[in-house]
Amino acid sequence: MINDISPHIFRAYDIRGLYNKDIFPMTFYHIGTSVGTYIKQDLGGKHLTVGCDIRRSSPPLVHSFIAGVTSIGIDVLFTGTTSFGQTLFTGWKNNQDLISFVTASHLPPEWNGIKFYYGDGVGLPEEELIKIRDYTLENRKTLSDWQQIGSVTQIESNDIYTQFFKDRCNFKNKLKVAIDCGGASMTLSAPEVFANVGLEVIPVFCQPDPLFSQRPSDPKPQNLNVLVNKVRQNNCDFGVAFDGDGDRSVIVDNLGMILSADQTGIVIGKHGNLKKGTVIVNVECSKAVKEQLEPLGYKIKQIPVGHTFLTLEAKKEHSPLGIESSGHLIITNYFLFDDAIVVPLKIAEILDNTKSSLSEIVKEIPIYPTKKEEIPCPDEIKFHVIDKLKNELSSEYSDINVMDGIRIDLDNGWVLIRCSNTSPVIRLTTEADSEKIVNEITTEFKKKTEEIIKQVKNN
Amino acid sequence: MGRLFGTNGIRGIVNQGIDPRFCIEIGSAIGTYFKKRNSLPKIAIGTDARLSNSMLKSAVASGLLSTGCNVTDIGVVPSPVVQYTVKKKGFHAGVIITASHNPPEFNGIKVIAGDGTELPKEIEDKIETIYFNKDIVLADWQEVGIYDQYDDAIDFYKQSLISVIDIDLIKRKKFRVVLDCGGGAGCVIAPKLLSDLGCDVTCLFCKLDGTFSGRNSEPLKENLTELIKMVPQIKADFGVALDGDADRAIFVDENGRYLPGDKTLALVAKYLTKINKGGITVTPVTSSSCVNDVVTKFGGTVIQTAVGSPIVARVMMENKALFGGEENGGLIFPDFQYCRDSIMSILKIMEIIATGEKSLSELIYEIPNYDMFKTKVACPNNIKEFVLKQMQENIGEKTPIKIDKTDGLKMYFKEGWVLVRPSGTEPIFRIFAESDNTKKAENLGFDFIEKIEKIVTQNKN
Repeated sequence: MINDISPHIFRAYDIRGLYNKDIFPMTFYHIGTSVGTYIKQDLGGKHLTVGCDIRRSSPPLVHSFIAGVTSIGIDVLFTGTTSFGQTLFTGWKNNQDLISFVTASHLPPEWNGIKFYYGDGVGLPEEELIKIRDYTLENRKTLSDWQQIGSVTQIESNDIYTQFFKDRCNFKNKLKVAIDCGGASMTLSAPEVFANVGLEVIPVFCQPDPLFSQRPSDPKPQNLNVLVNKVRQNNCDFGVAFDGDGDRSVIVDNLGMILSADQTGIVIGKHGNLKKGTVIVNVECSKAVKEQLEPLGYKIKQIPVGHTFLTLEAKKEHSPLGIESSGHLIITNYFLFDDAIVVPLKIAEILDNTKSSLSEIVKEIPIYPTKKEEIPCPDEIKFHVIDKLKNELSSEYSDINVMDGIRIDLDNGWVLIRCSNTSPVIRLTTEADSEKIVNEITTEFKKKTEEIIKQVKNN
Repeated sequence: MGRLFGTNGIRGIVNQGIDPRFCIEIGSAIGTYFKKRNSLPKIAIGTDARLSNSMLKSAVASGLLSTGCNVTDIGVVPSPVVQYTVKKKGFHAGVIITASHNPPEFNGIKVIAGDGTELPKEIEDKIETIYFNKDIVLADWQEVGIYDQYDDAIDFYKQSLISVIDIDLIKRKKFRVVLDCGGGAGCVIAPKLLSDLGCDVTCLFCKLDGTFSGRNSEPLKENLTELIKMVPQIKADFGVALDGDADRAIFVDENGRYLPGDKTLALVAKYLTKINKGGITVTPVTSSSCVNDVVTKFGGTVIQTAVGSPIVARVMMENKALFGGEENGGLIFPDFQYCRDSIMSILKIMEIIATGEKSLSELIYEIPNYDMFKTKVACPNNIKEFVLKQMQENIGEKTPIKIDKTDGLKMYFKEGWVLVRPSGTEPIFRIFAESDNTKKAENLGFDFIEKIEKIVTQNKN
């Protein structure tokens, strides 16, 4: 056992922790050896691509990770400091067995972590991450002998990455786009790619700033005031903001309205000239997605929350489009992974082919009122409460989905009841045709949940 | 102390003694040392050609970065290129991942001071103390070092090198050379540089080869059979072989004769002393008397030091020496830098040949010839010091003309000299004996084998 590594850094989708508190370079060495062992034993492979985001603590972590991976006998392609998408792209183009990216996504700058993807960009599901966790905690590794030690090749992929998009964009009009990289990793890709495909760029926080001193790296609406103002002041056709590593984007229309991931997904589904097929949406997505896209010939498939399910399911279903309410979107005629750069490029393509403005396109999409409630519930019983609720509600409702919490679709709305993965609460999300109905549904299911909590507590 | 660093840095078998875990920690210890002396230390890192280089470089870099040192990767380069870059490009220190001439399963870490020399022993000791006491100070996330690359180290070095050598003289001579890089780091510079200097170069093992499959990376006579064969075959002016990290060069004359390192050392010392009309040459006690003979003949003086190129370099600096070097082919040219430099050695030898009309064999013929007998005697590490003391106190029936205790015990007799010294790395005593013929040298040496063996046996338990 390696006692000095906390099991809590291993999360459902990735590994995360506070630098020098939960994670150290030595931690990443051990994780590297486990990942090397995983590639060798479980994937029967030999090749890994790794890059890191712009965080200050990324260099020591990525280098100790590389030392660990190569010590097992895996050859490494090192992309250096890049956006998430550029490293994924490089791994995908080079037929790698596994792709890793050192990042803590949108978390504050003192955090860091690492994410894992197969060679085609599909995220590693939780059960595979558990293997890597167990190999690490059990220190299950055999260092290779000197002849078998892996090589490290530094690879510069700016040009082929930019060219890839140049080959796919052919704009007739000069569109004006404000890009807000938040000083984070997308500063290294997005402005260059956008300029190269012929867009006029209004930069917002496009200078690398690993301290994220200009805006927090989470592109939440309250963090996007500067972008919104720039879009308005410069009469941009639209604006886009990226998160810390560049796997999520938020679109702002020409009037400065911030679009939800669902709205952006619907715009792309309706106007993006995609092949028809099954659109993947998570259980938190608005009912507007189904209402807007089904009549056009798409099928809708619900998946649990979490972007790994998104790519996994999209691959299985050969989907044209995947929408995760948190802001991950995939458009598979580019590639399978959630490089957020494709979203604004697709929006630009749509605007290039129409006379309408983005706000006019968005106006056609109904917005339904939603409500989010948090019900306190001790960690020890929260999952049990959900199981019990599942049993009770399954007999009561016909349109019920229990793949991730409980989602019940009603005639005029829906409700989702899920445990929080991180805090002692159960979350209730409701969407319906009117505020009144939202409140009614929320009250009804909140009551049911609280009753069950009481019952479980008393037992 | 001295538990990690030997005469030439830290060495070990990869993924046994020297694994990434160790390298991250030693990297942090090195980083902690330099961070204490500088608010933002800049450290250059380079490697030789071994298969484990990238792994160990990543590990050491991680350790350095984690303590707040900026790290600049200069890639696969000869050790003297790292040293020159450190000195000239404003780095506070350098790290070389190399095990020099050791077999390919070995690797190691050499630390370079800001002036381009190898770290003095006392600083190595301080780094060891930090390592063993776990006194590592990790930088906060905001203070972590930045990693970048410098791709022009070789070009920069080359440009500087040719500015201190009479290039036109060499070019006019149109040398025919057989170059044997042994698959080591010299491959990245030597073949191109020699062709640029107008040489007709025939390459042996000039492709980077981390397994040293062509030949053993130590340029000993028995490892250079192909070079020795080829030089007269193609009527080359000379042949030259480099070790794994290209800090040492060994020459073969136009007849295919292997030239021991002290012969070239003496040749260069003679040339420089002569044109400078005197000057100091520094060399360890193990070097042949021929060095002393030629230097004194032309009005220069020789300072003898303990074994180890960092010591030679430091003594050279302190005494503003003209030249220095070791009998293993490591030559130090202070006008250029205070470290062994094989590339500079090749150019200097070419310059010397080009200055006159004589061939390399003719030039070497003018150096007095001595024969050296080398052997070793087993001795446990813990009694080495005691054994040496016993030897010093009781030399024996034959009284030397002169005694030198710089490193071990060197005794001068009428027929030659004998040096007995405990090895810095292995549980042995080394014996060197030199005289004007082989038989006399052997006889001198044999006397001391018996003496040491006797003391060791008496004191073993």
